[in-house]
Amino acid sequence: MAWYDEDSWLTQALSPKLSTIVITLAIAIFLPILLHSFLYRKAASATGLPTFLLVGPSGGGKTAFTTLTERGTVPTTHPSTTPLSIEALLPDPHVPASSHYRSPGDPAFERSRRFIILDTPGHGKLRNYATSTLADPGNVRGIIFVVDAAAIDEEAGLNEAAEYLHDVLLSLQKRYTNATTSKGPKEIPVLIAANKMDLFTALPASSVKTKLEKAISEVRNNRAKALRDAGAALSGGDEVDEEKEWLGEGGEGSFEFDEMREIGTAVDIVGGNVCQGKNSGDVAGWWSWIGEHL
Amino acid sequence: MLDTFEIVTASGIVLWSRTYVPVGAHVINSLIRDVFIEEHTLPQSEDSGSKPTYKKDGYTVKWTQAKDLGLVFVAVYQSLVHLTWIDKLLDNVRALFVGLYGEQLKTELSSVVNCDRFGSYFDRQMQELEGQSDSSAPGIKITTPDSSIDNDSAEESGPAAGLQKPPQRALFDTSADSTPVQTPDTSRPTTPASRILAGKARPAGARMSRRDRKKASGSPAPASSGDEASAKRKGKSAKKNRTWGELGAEEEDGDMVLDYSQSDIRGGAAEVEQLEEIHQDTWGRKTTRGEFVLKDLDEEMDAIIQEQNAKKDTAAAAAATAAAGGIVGSSLGAIGGYFRNVVGGKTLTKEDLAKSLKAMEEHLLRKNVAREAAVRLCESVERDLVGMKTPSFTTIESTLRTSMEKALTRILTPTSSLDLLREISTINSSRSRPYVLSIVGVNGVGKSTNLSKIAFFLLQNHHRVLIAAADTFRSGAVEQLRVHVRNLQELSKREGGSVDLFEKGYGKDAANIAADAVVYAEKHHFNVVLIDTAGRRHNDQRLMSSLEKFGKLANPDKILMVGEALVGTDSVAQARNFNASFGAGRKLDGFIISKTDTVGDMVGTLVSMVHATGIPVVFLGTGQHYSDLRNLNVGVITRLLMS
Repeated sequence: MAWYDEDSWLTQALSPKLSTIVITLAIAIFLPILLHSFLYRKAASATGLPTFLLVGPSGGGKTAFTTLTERGTVPTTHPSTTPLSIEALLPDPHVPASSHYRSPGDPAFERSRRFIILDTPGHGKLRNYATSTLADPGNVRGIIFVVDAAAIDEEAGLNEAAEYLHDVLLSLQKRYTNATTSKGPKEIPVLIAANKMDLFTALPASSVKTKLEKAISEVRNNRAKALRDAGAALSGGDEVDEEKEWLGEGGEGSFEFDEMREIGTAVDIVGGNVCQGKNSGDVAGWWSWIGEHL
Repeated sequence: MLDTFEIVTASGIVLWSRTYVPVGAHVINSLIRDVFIEEHTLPQSEDSGSKPTYKKDGYTVKWTQAKDLGLVFVAVYQSLVHLTWIDKLLDNVRALFVGLYGEQLKTELSSVVNCDRFGSYFDRQMQELEGQSDSSAPGIKITTPDSSIDNDSAEESGPAAGLQKPPQRALFDTSADSTPVQTPDTSRPTTPASRILAGKARPAGARMSRRDRKKASGSPAPASSGDEASAKRKGKSAKKNRTWGELGAEEEDGDMVLDYSQSDIRGGAAEVEQLEEIHQDTWGRKTTRGEFVLKDLDEEMDAIIQEQNAKKDTAAAAAATAAAGGIVGSSLGAIGGYFRNVVGGKTLTKEDLAKSLKAMEEHLLRKNVAREAAVRLCESVERDLVGMKTPSFTTIESTLRTSMEKALTRILTPTSSLDLLREISTINSSRSRPYVLSIVGVNGVGKSTNLSKIAFFLLQNHHRVLIAAADTFRSGAVEQLRVHVRNLQELSKREGGSVDLFEKGYGKDAANIAADAVVYAEKHHFNVVLIDTAGRRHNDQRLMSSLEKFGKLANPDKILMVGEALVGTDSVAQARNFNASFGAGRKLDGFIISKTDTVGDMVGTLVSMVHATGIPVVFLGTGQHYSDLRNLNVGVITRLLMS
C-alpha cells in the first residue's frame, strides 16, 4: 500500500475523522502535562536549599558534627570515604538571620530553617570531592573548616590543617578574581570550627587563629619558592611564566585572615566540641554562625 | 570470641554496632584508611570463598560490603582465636540488614536509619552460628588439613590422631588461654573429661537441622560443663532476655537495656561468675516459653535471608536465561539492556562491564601503563562498580570513565604533603645534622642529572648544599658531578647559597663515603647533603644488597628513586625491588620520573610505579635544563591518561 492510497495511514491522519481528532486532542492535552510532571520532579530532586560545605583534615569531627546537627546525638564515626549530604533543621534557639522578624508560626520561618550540610572526606587522597565543590560552589552559603584544636598543637597536625585551609582560601580567592562580572560573585564566608575543646590539650580559639595564620604564611612562602607545576610542560602549552598564586594581599609579611575580607570571604573562628565523652557537646557557636548566614 | 561487630556507612557513620570486648576505634579506622582509601593491602577477591581479612594490633578484621547502599559490615576478633563462622555471619547479617533497612538507607539527604531492633536479630544469628560451629566443628576438622589449624595446636594434635575430638579441644584450649580474662570461658575451670562426654553425647551434631539442634541443645546442654555449654549459655542468656521483654509489653527497649548491661558487666570476673549461675537457673526454667517466641523471629529472619539470596539468584538466573534463551528472549533482553544502557538506571554486573573494562585496559596499555598495574586498576574499578546503578542518562562507558578518573586521582594524590623546602627547614631547625637526600635507580635513568636539578632548586632557595659522589663504580661518574658542581658554583656566586663536591675517587665503598660526607657536611655547616649512587640493575641481588648497608650508614632523610618515563612493564618490578632493598623498616620516600618530555601523553609509568608501591611521585623531569624539574600535577596527568 503506497502512501497516496485511500486508506494509507497518512491519508487517515489528514482526513477529518473522529479517531484522528481524538488522538490529536489526547496528545495535545497530555503531552504538556507529562512533560511538566517530569521536569517538576527533576527540579524538586535537585533542591535549592542553602548548602554548607564541611571541609577539614581527617579526624577533625566533620561527620560527627553532621550527625549531631541532623539527629542531636553523636554515633561513633570512622574516616569517611564518600561525601554525604544531609538535610537538617537549624536547632531550636538559633534563628536564621533571614527570618529574624518572622513569627515562629510562619511556615516561611520553618522553611528558612532548613539547610543542607555537605560533609566531605578529609583524607589527603579524597580531597578532590571538596575541591571540585569549591570550584563550582552552586548553592554553597558558607564553608565550615573543622579542625582538631588539640592536633593543631603539634607540628604535623598544624601543617596539614594549614595547607588544606590555604588551598580552600586560595580557591575562594581564585573564584573571586576570575569572576567576569564587575560585581563579583556571591560572598562565601568561612568558619573555622575549632573542635574538641573539651580535651585538655586543646588550644583556645584565639590561639588556634594565630597558629593557623602563622602556618599559612609559611605555606604561602614555601609555595612561592617551590618548583612550578608540571601542568604546562606536559600538556605541551607554551611555558610562559604564569604568575604564582599568592593568597591574600601582595607583598611580603605574614598572612592574616582579615585579608580575606577583600575577596568577600569573612573568616571567623569559633571553638566548640561535638562530643563530650559519650554525650553531645557544645556547638552552639557554630549553629549560630550557620544561622547568621542562612 | 567475636569482639566487635559494626555496620558502617561509606561516609563513616556507624549505623549499628555490638561490642563484646571493647576494641579501640583505631582498628577499624586503619582498616578504612589502609584498605579502602590508600589500598595498601589489596583484598583477595571474594570468589576465593572466604571474606577478605585485615590484621592489625593482634586483631583480625573481616568485612563484607553492600556496594549499592555503601555499607561495610565489619567483624573484629582476636587473631589468636580461629573463628570459622564469621564469613557466614557476615553474609547473613548483610542479607538481614539490607532486607530490613534497605529502603530506609536509600532515602536521600538523610543518614538516619532506625535500626534499634536489629540487636535481637543479630543475637539470634550469633547464637545460631556459634552453636552450629560448636556442634559441627568435629565434622569440619576431618576435612580441613592440620595446617589450617592454629599453629599452637599442631603439637597436641600429633599424638592424638586416632581420636577426632582432640584437635578440636586443643584449638579451644589455646584460644581460651590466649584471650584475656574478660571472657567468661576462661574464668571457669574446665575439665577435658567432661568435654569429651559432652562431645560424645551428640555425635551426629553436624547432620542435624537447625530446629532439631535447638531442641537438642535444650536438653543435654546443662549436663555438660564444657566450652560448648558456655557458648550455648551465653546465647541462651540473650534468648531469655528477649523472652522477658516479650512477656512484659512486647517492647524491644527492655531487652536492649539488658543486653547492654550484660556486655558491660563482663569486665569483672567475679561478677560474671555470679551472673553465670543465675543464667543457668533461669534458663532452665524458661526454655519452653523462650522456644516459641524465638522460633517466630527465627522464621522471619530465615525468610529475609532467603529472599535476599533468591533476589541474587533470580538476577543471576535472568542473566543466564537471557544469555542462553531463544532469539526472541535474547533480542528483547538486548533491546531492554541497550535502552537502559542509554538511559541509565541499570544495575551493573560483571558481564556488563567486561567489554568496556577490556577496552579501558587496552587504552591504559596504550598509555604505557604496565599490564599488571592496568589489570589491577581495572579490577579495582570493577570492584567499585559491580552492584552500582548507573546514574540516569549515563552509559556504562562514561560511568566507567568517571570511576577510572577517580581511581587514578586517588592513586596519584599523595597522602601527605611533599614540601621538600619545609622538610629541610624543620629538620635543620631541630638538630645539627644536615638534611640528607639520596638518589637511587637503574643505570642511565638520569640520577646525576636529576640530582643536580634538585641542587639547583635548593641553591635558588639559598641552601648550602654538599653533593657526595657515592658512585664509585662507573668511570666518569665523579667527573660528571664535578662539571655539574662547577656550573652550579657559577650560579651560586650570583644567586647566593653555596655548593661543593665531596669525593673519594673510585673503588671505595659507597656506604662509607656517604657516611663520611654527612660528617664532613656537619663539620662545614652545609645544611643539605645530596648523595648520588651507582646505578644498579634491580634484579641483581648482589648489587641491591649493598643498598641496605648504604641506608643504615648514611641514614638518609629521604630516599628518592629515579625512574624513566620511557620504561614500560619493567617499571613495576623496578619500583618494587628498590622499595624492598633497604631492609625492614626503611622504604623509598618518593619517585622522580625523568624524561617525561620525551613521551608525550604516554605517562603511564607514573601510575605503574605508584600503583606498585603506594609511594608518591615527588618530581618530574621535563627537559634538559637545570630548571626543568616540576612538581606533580595530578589533574593534568589524569587528563593525559584518559585522553
